[in-house]
Amino acid sequence: MALLVTLNGTQVRGRPGQTILELAQENGVDIPTLCHHADLSPLGACRVCVVEVEGSRTLVGSCHTPIADGMVIHTHSPKVLESRRVIVELLLASHSGVCYMCDKANMCELRKIAAELDVGLPRFQVRKHYYPLEDVSPYIARDLTKCIMCRRCVRACNEVAKHDVFAIAYRGFDSKIVVDFDQPIDKEVCRDCGVCIPFCPTGALSQPRETKTEKKGKPLVVTS
Amino acid sequence: MNKTGRNGGRGELLVLLEAAQSKSAHISRDTITELAESLDLSIGEVYGVASFYSFLSTKPQGRNIIRICKSLPCLLKHAQTIIDSVRQEIGILPGETTPDGRFSFELTNCIGACDKAPAMMVNSDVHGDLTPKKIAKVLQAYK
Amino acid sequence: MPEKRVVLKNCGVIDPQDIASYLAADGFKALEKALKLHLKQVIDEVKASELRGRGGAGFPCGLKWEFASKAQGNEKYVICNADEGEVGTFKDRYILENDPFSLIEGIAIAGYAIGAKKAYIYLRAEYHFLLDLLQNAIAQAKKKGFLGHLDIEVREGAGAYVCGEESALMDSIEGKRGEVRYRPPFPPTSGLWGKPTIINNVETLTNIPRIILNGAEWFGKMGTEKSKGTKVFSVSGDVAKPGVYELVLGSPLRELVEKLAKAEKVKTVQIGGATGRIIPYAMIDASLSFESVLGAGAITVFDESRDIIDIVGKTMEFLAEESCGKCTPCREGTEVMVETMERLGRGEGLKKDIKVLEELAETMMLCSMCGLGQAAPIPVVDSLEHFRGEYENRIRQS
Ligand SMILES: Cc1cc2nc3c(=O)[nH]c(=O)nc-3n(C[C@H](O)[C@H](O)[C@H](O)COP(=O)(O)O)c2cc1C
Ligand code: SF4
Ligand code: SF4
Ligand code: SF4
Ligand code: FES
Ligand code: FES
Repeated sequence: MALLVTLNGTQVRGRPGQTILELAQENGVDIPTLCHHADLSPLGACRVCVVEVEGSRTLVGSCHTPIADGMVIHTHSPKVLESRRVIVELLLASHSGVCYMCDKANMCELRKIAAELDVGLPRFQVRKHYYPLEDVSPYIARDLTKCIMCRRCVRACNEVAKHDVFAIAYRGFDSKIVVDFDQPIDKEVCRDCGVCIPFCPTGALSQPRETKTEKKGKPLVVTS
Repeated sequence: MNKTGRNGGRGELLVLLEAAQSKSAHISRDTITELAESLDLSIGEVYGVASFYSFLSTKPQGRNIIRICKSLPCLLKHAQTIIDSVRQEIGILPGETTPDGRFSFELTNCIGACDKAPAMMVNSDVHGDLTPKKIAKVLQAYK
Repeated sequence: MPEKRVVLKNCGVIDPQDIASYLAADGFKALEKALKLHLKQVIDEVKASELRGRGGAGFPCGLKWEFASKAQGNEKYVICNADEGEVGTFKDRYILENDPFSLIEGIAIAGYAIGAKKAYIYLRAEYHFLLDLLQNAIAQAKKKGFLGHLDIEVREGAGAYVCGEESALMDSIEGKRGEVRYRPPFPPTSGLWGKPTIINNVETLTNIPRIILNGAEWFGKMGTEKSKGTKVFSVSGDVAKPGVYELVLGSPLRELVEKLAKAEKVKTVQIGGATGRIIPYAMIDASLSFESVLGAGAITVFDESRDIIDIVGKTMEFLAEESCGKCTPCREGTEVMVETMERLGRGEGLKKDIKVLEELAETMMLCSMCGLGQAAPIPVVDSLEHFRGEYENRIRQS
């Protein structure tokens, strides 16, 4: 049974159980996402993927909301775009990363979406998420000052790698991805794994720099 | 035991954490480790649950926990004077525990006693219609 | 329109420790009547009464039951929401303290109607002192043979306002962090452990025995077109007589605040707690109903000596502390609002603050995953509508 949906003014057909995001992608409509990942279960946390569905009081998360027959969807209305901008601005406001010093700058999905949505310097004044760099593990480095709580690492570790290294602790603004009793990550199961690293949309997870093999600058010898 | 099971399994985690909290006034690392093992969960998962709820503590607490309500209806009825008198009476700030381990002192959100504002809890007892004068007497009962 | 004790009819009349006194007050007659009806008839009666949820959202109770009753599967759950964490609310505590039996009877009828064998009462940690009373009442009802079809278990919260939100509450019962789930699916299709579940407020369920016994028609005679029956209010703040009052829905706010609770020199009233509306004294004649203002019935009164920036700031502080932290707009947005209100309070406001607050509010209301984040900006939005001058003055003086 095909479902008839109006997507940005055009009638399209979808399948029961399909999400709005999947339908949009199938029809060449690009909706930004951060916490969503095709290989992971849906979460609905970042809210960057919101769209307007006629008759709904609020915007809806497209990555987890199934389509319904007769649904009228606007993926890029002014209301939607403005909301997406504010959400990205919020993420950047408490994000203490500095892009030009960030190793992942060229791969960062947050930075990419910010650019696409034309988000400049955030107007919001708020304290920054600050955590010390975790570089004890030879396999994974974590810089949670750059974490946006998308939980992709948690799900990737669980669902793809079949481990349970990460968990979520505390709540509200202070919530944080933790390992054990909120200790710097240093797990033996992470050896030969590293599955979570490419799932991280920001510079929060990375392969440790191999400082030993790195070329050290030669001391400048001035002869007179 | 199974991971999602309703009885005995994961579904009991909060109940078990609450029991540990009331038995030893906090949830120790050993308790968390044991619970994680017996329920087949990671330590982080158990720690994550314990750290979510404000009535669970992963740090050692005093024998008695004072929680003064700091929500608006109590503040309108001078909760600040109650906070100040408790501070004077036991000599510590909110977030601290007395050196003799008798009291831990916290501020909390509305405890559903606003008709008796200002109000506070000591352990699970609710004390309402407080005045600075009453504080010493109320606290006397908790050793 | 007067005070009327329907929900509270037994409070102060019966002995909450002794089921005999409840039985003498027509106790469990409604359950006996319901058990003789087909479960569809029970649901139809509740639907016909047009009873709407008393926990804040006002969803039609009968409809919720119907969804759950029609849902596939024979494992279903009833949950009574006794988390009552909204600032300024204590009416559920009053019901639990004085008449736990009516609630148990309501839960028993709900269980029969949707075909559940298990019910939970989720009691907030702050109400631990009521645990024995409640368990004693359940044990007595069981002993008298009223709970043959339904096992009722009390689960305690551990200090988290967001666990009053239905999906967070279910996660909490499942032993998890009390975080919100996205919807759909809704609880009547997929709730506790993925099974069909109804969640109702204490007061909603306490209405049920009255409706079954006296009929939907009797119930429908009270209230307004879209708000039938009575409502139990918790009144606190700058009033001479704080407490619990039950009024027919549609009664004017003035009657409750000035006549019953004896407030004077009122500046503003917060209706529905931290996530509720803030209205100026000029609107004191508003009707208390779903059509107008209501929430879960928390009425906090502020007199002319109170500062609006301070009221909103404290309210935002509560919401930020209680946000589950799962979704961006609420986790980050409430914190931005707290810090902005603090700056305004310190006299460090900026000209752009008002506009920034308004734009942030819009996004939080539209995009947050649950009612907490969606309603969190209401205090800011309402106070900017009614007390904008105070914001502007504060910024000008900065
Ligand atoms: C943040 C938040 C807190 C809530 N707290 C409560 C509560 O303490 N008690 C309650 O009955 N409903 C509360 N609700 C509403 C519930 O989600 C749900 O709508 C209600 O329990 C349904 O019961 P009712 O239809 O009988 O009102 C809360 C909602 C939100 C968003
Ligand atoms: S994680 Fe992304 S947004 Fe953050 S500093 Fe790195 S590149 Fe910039
Ligand atoms: S570490 Fe990366 S993947 Fe994990 S939650 Fe943070 S941003 Fe997301
Ligand atoms: S709105 Fe707030 S409380 Fe609700 S899901 Fe989002 S972060 Fe959690
Ligand atoms: S991508 Fe849909 S909520 Fe994050
Ligand atoms: S505000 Fe203090 S008990 Fe409600």
